[in-house]
Amino acid sequence: MDKLERLLNLAAALLDADRPLTADELRDRIGGYPDGKATFRRAFERDKDDLRAMGLPIAVEPVPGSDPPTDGYRMRRADYSGAEIRLEPDELAALHLATNLVRLDGAESGLIKLGAGGESAADQVGYVPFDDSLAVLIAAAADRKSVTFTYNETVRAVEPWQLSFSRGHWYLAGWDRVREDERLYRVDRIDGDVEPGDDATHEVGSVDDPKDLRGWELGDGEAIRARVQIDAVQAAHARHLLGTVEEQADGSVIADMDVRNPEAFRSFVLSFLDHAEVLDPPELRQGVVDWLESFA
Amino acid sequence: MNAKLTARDRMTRLLAVIPWVVEQDGALLDDVATRFDYPRDRLVADLTEVVLFVGVHPFTPDSLIEVDITDDRVQIRYADWFSQPLRLTPEEGARLLTAGRSVLSLDSDTQDDADMDPERASPLLRALTKLGMALGESAERAVDVRLGDAPEATLDTLRQAVAAGTQVELNYYTYGRDELTTRVVDPARVFSDHGNWYLHGYCHRADDERVFRVDRVRDVRPLGTPIEHQLDTGGGSFTPDGDDPRVQLHLPADAGWVVEQYPTEAVETRPDGSIDVVMAVTATPWLERLLLRLGPGAQIVEATDTIAEDLVPQAAARVLARYRR
Repeated sequence: MDKLERLLNLAAALLDADRPLTADELRDRIGGYPDGKATFRRAFERDKDDLRAMGLPIAVEPVPGSDPPTDGYRMRRADYSGAEIRLEPDELAALHLATNLVRLDGAESGLIKLGAGGESAADQVGYVPFDDSLAVLIAAAADRKSVTFTYNETVRAVEPWQLSFSRGHWYLAGWDRVREDERLYRVDRIDGDVEPGDDATHEVGSVDDPKDLRGWELGDGEAIRARVQIDAVQAAHARHLLGTVEEQADGSVIADMDVRNPEAFRSFVLSFLDHAEVLDPPELRQGVVDWLESFA
Repeated sequence: MNAKLTARDRMTRLLAVIPWVVEQDGALLDDVATRFDYPRDRLVADLTEVVLFVGVHPFTPDSLIEVDITDDRVQIRYADWFSQPLRLTPEEGARLLTAGRSVLSLDSDTQDDADMDPERASPLLRALTKLGMALGESAERAVDVRLGDAPEATLDTLRQAVAAGTQVELNYYTYGRDELTTRVVDPARVFSDHGNWYLHGYCHRADDERVFRVDRVRDVRPLGTPIEHQLDTGGGSFTPDGDDPRVQLHLPADAGWVVEQYPTEAVETRPDGSIDVVMAVTATPWLERLLLRLGPGAQIVEATDTIAEDLVPQAAARVLARYRR
């Protein structure tokens, strides 16, 4: 039997069941599985994984009256169809066009389910990196669920508020349950998988405008206010990167920066080479000097 | 788009095709093929050789799905189990929401109009509102995308010039060389990649194709004169110039991001995790910045003679001099 046929029959049997069915019952009802107990079990587990990966909500429940207690499987129709999204043809077309204009890895299966597959004539205007962790985070933020993940070698329990893509990186803003404070994380620095958790309890807070996030503002420490002077030749570049700056008579500019991550701050200042200088505070200035002296 | 569909790809499609055909009370095969990105031959084979045999125990004719293909139309009946479309997973929804919000961010007029009159809302905004309701109460603000942060006026001027096929004059800051230049460009395409806007075009100063970062365009002047060079805009990513000097660097283990962020030619990881890498150097200030940032643990192993051996200590001393005056 074709694998596709077996998967469709398994899905139909699970939807048709009015009580949890054991693996053996499913084998007898569907057919198409190998005979040996171990090989059947492997094939059955693979099929279940495939269906789940497509988004089929297979429930695992104890079979009533079984002795010894055995797990059975079924799929409720309400779970299967989920919340109905009824899109008008022009809305479908707009969504289709959007996914062609801005390419995201893995956006295709959702479009197919909505019936908006196929290529469009539009030229792609953008590419945004996207992966499964990000999808889990966005879904959790939308549905007010907590998440856990490892970051800086520490396990974090976070209530996600918003995911922002800015300057080529994805950032997560949310409530850190352990530190009991709002925090920002770079999504690409998350180690391993993101696990969705229970319902969020803390209200959605106001995030500093995430569009203005900078590497030196991402950290667990207290913010230190730093003053940096940038020469006239780089003033326009600095103004563009930093927004508000104080103009000086000689054409140079002075910028105030809130630093939580001194290494990222040092990297930023050094990107101007000898066109920038840390004025204050003395410890950040000395940090740059020490770093430069280590090259000698 | 898909030459080879896996069993999973085909099943995802069929679970969407079946309820749609049932609801339409039959559909043209060509429409199904287009709408669900399902090559027509594959679709017909899957319907007649697979779906026709799908059902539930005991698989008697009355417990099987009925598929009828007449001329170019398909009819599907008795597919009760699959009469509703399979839900979008939250992750699939998140991807569509993100793509949609990215496109909304392209048009500065619609960005902050979450509560605008639904009658006048764009189809995309309406689609995202419906999608958001299915995803959860906070979907509206769950994701925010900025494709790049170049001035809107500059982008507009460049897009108009691309559409009109006319030349522009750029006052452009070359970051790697730390210099400001003026050049006439035949613009071919404006695109965003990893959070920056780029202009791909033919540069008359370089007499070659170039890719410019729009946020480094200080000033753009539409010239109105027709472009002289038509470019193939299929690509758009950077490839280093073959003539650029090469440098071999030895990087500490924690500098792996360099390999991900810049085009590299040969990468080798040593047993202790440190990395040997060969890169093209478009300009010396670029290399100085990179190595000053990495610290003394990163070293030049070998370089073409246009790059001084003591490049980095010299650069460090130059910056230090500023702190000692």
